[in-house]
Amino acid sequence: MSTTKTPPSLRVEDVDISRMRPVGRRPGLFSYVRQLWGRRHFVWADSRARAFTGTKDTVLGRFWLVGRPLLDGLTFYLIFGLLLGVSRGIENYVGFLLIGVFLFGWSSQSLNGGANVLSSGKNLIRGFAFPRAAIPLSLALRETMSMGPRLLVMVAMILVIPPHAQVSVYWLIFPLVLVLQGLFNVGVVLYAARLTHAVPDLRLVLGFFSRLWLYGSGVMYSIDRFVEHPTVLAIAQLNPVYCVLEISRDLLLYARMPDLTLWMTLLAWAVATPLLGFLYFWQGEEEYGRE
Amino acid sequence: MSDLAQDTPDTTSAPADVPVGDPTVSVRRLSVHYRVPSGEDDGSGQAPGRLRRRLGMTGTVTVRAVDDVSFVARAGEAIGVVGQNGSGKSTLLRVIAGLETATHGDVLATSTPMFLGVNAALMPELSGLQNVRLGLLAMGRTPAEADEIVPDVLHVAGIGNAVHRPMKTYSSGMGARLRFAIAASARPEILLIDEALATGDAASKERSEERMAQIRQQAGTIFLVSHAAQTIEEMCTRAIWLHDGELVLDGPAEETARAYRWWAWNVAKGEHEIAADVLERCRARLRATLVRHEDQTGRHIARHST
Repeated sequence: MSTTKTPPSLRVEDVDISRMRPVGRRPGLFSYVRQLWGRRHFVWADSRARAFTGTKDTVLGRFWLVGRPLLDGLTFYLIFGLLLGVSRGIENYVGFLLIGVFLFGWSSQSLNGGANVLSSGKNLIRGFAFPRAAIPLSLALRETMSMGPRLLVMVAMILVIPPHAQVSVYWLIFPLVLVLQGLFNVGVVLYAARLTHAVPDLRLVLGFFSRLWLYGSGVMYSIDRFVEHPTVLAIAQLNPVYCVLEISRDLLLYARMPDLTLWMTLLAWAVATPLLGFLYFWQGEEEYGRE
Repeated sequence: MSDLAQDTPDTTSAPADVPVGDPTVSVRRLSVHYRVPSGEDDGSGQAPGRLRRRLGMTGTVTVRAVDDVSFVARAGEAIGVVGQNGSGKSTLLRVIAGLETATHGDVLATSTPMFLGVNAALMPELSGLQNVRLGLLAMGRTPAEADEIVPDVLHVAGIGNAVHRPMKTYSSGMGARLRFAIAASARPEILLIDEALATGDAASKERSEERMAQIRQQAGTIFLVSHAAQTIEEMCTRAIWLHDGELVLDGPAEETARAYRWWAWNVAKGEHEIAADVLERCRARLRATLVRHEDQTGRHIARHST
């Protein structure tokens, strides 16, 4: 392969690069999606294998899946319901609170999980070549699976605890809310994963943001009653989790059709967040293996 | 060459002969520089530097982890990378794996290289068996294919009943063997191994060597990083020696490994003059590689147009 015109200390290698590609480059969007589809079994197996590992070292194990939101709900009930009395004027406050705590928990855990998903999956990322989006998607799937038992407990409780919620025809629409929230959560995980990987400091600010989100979503009180400034209220009503909670409470507790604006806002978030989040995550594909 | 290798008895067995084929990895003028935090004073004594240190934002220095390295790896080759700790071996491997980005230069490869790093456990909470399955699925196997390959992987790993225990309970050697077995099962065209096999016992080492020979026979290329020259000599056909990020020697494994060993022995004995001399003579012997990329189709067109 070497030519004769060069000095003896130089070895010229002519490399035919027609079969070669630069290493570590992210593939085009289309082939990325195709590769990701090829890893669907991995996403499934990974989320199943890691579901419940967070509570593995505890005595009560899987109980904490519902134990934690229950304790949250109890705390809020004591402070906001009994002590501060914000429950006045809210019909079926216990049901109101339960729906708030359980459904908000799904989104906030997606956010917190997404912030740590790339660092906890770094062994897999460094060990194998696969589209990295498989890791956050597996987390989103895992969170969705652990929502199953939680939803059962939530529904059981709002039926059992007085004043009992009445099963109505509106309950049939409730799964649609879950689908929309689940889609939104996928986007949250993807955004949180890349953002915290690029700027690790965000992980420290996450707690503050979660709390702000909690209070801004009307988990334990009704936002409409406390916020009087019209602009602030309008902003608060753009919050997708606020929409989820309002719609769910209307459907499950109050047996009425929720406002169309709420539906539209939630739908917009549920479509835009995962799509943009996926594009955003894909663009950072080359960064995730670095130390 | 024998004058550089006075301390080594000739007991090692050379790896199996496999004809060398087409290029699989092309590394052209590769440099990797890091900006790393350092408590070291840059000597300027300027206020911004002091202020930043007081604020807890440490100053940075540039480390040339890999400095202007060029070489071409071919199918059938097992290339050892030797050098002392911190000489840039692992960085070089991570860049070839695509896990790290080069500051200058480029790395081309015929397929995505498979990288075996030093961290032993994949998913520490899960059993070895679950890790094997998960690893196979991550490489794009279907569950049915994975079920089929699992016994083979376990045989190569040879860790017995430990496969049912969580991987965090494994010794580093067991973890490394299991990871090698998973990676090798994919029959990768390019396999990068970072110190992973040095810890195996005799029986498992033999199985690993067998699997490495298979990969090379199927037109694969293997890179093996080690600071143990003995391992390189036993397992590789060719070796490159990195010293502070610089390519010192690139040649047959035996030659490079022995030169490196002789150098390391002198450094250990405090014979720094001899060591420096060894280094100098190797640099003088090194034929620098000039990598020229050409596209078959592109060149064809160029010929007709001129």
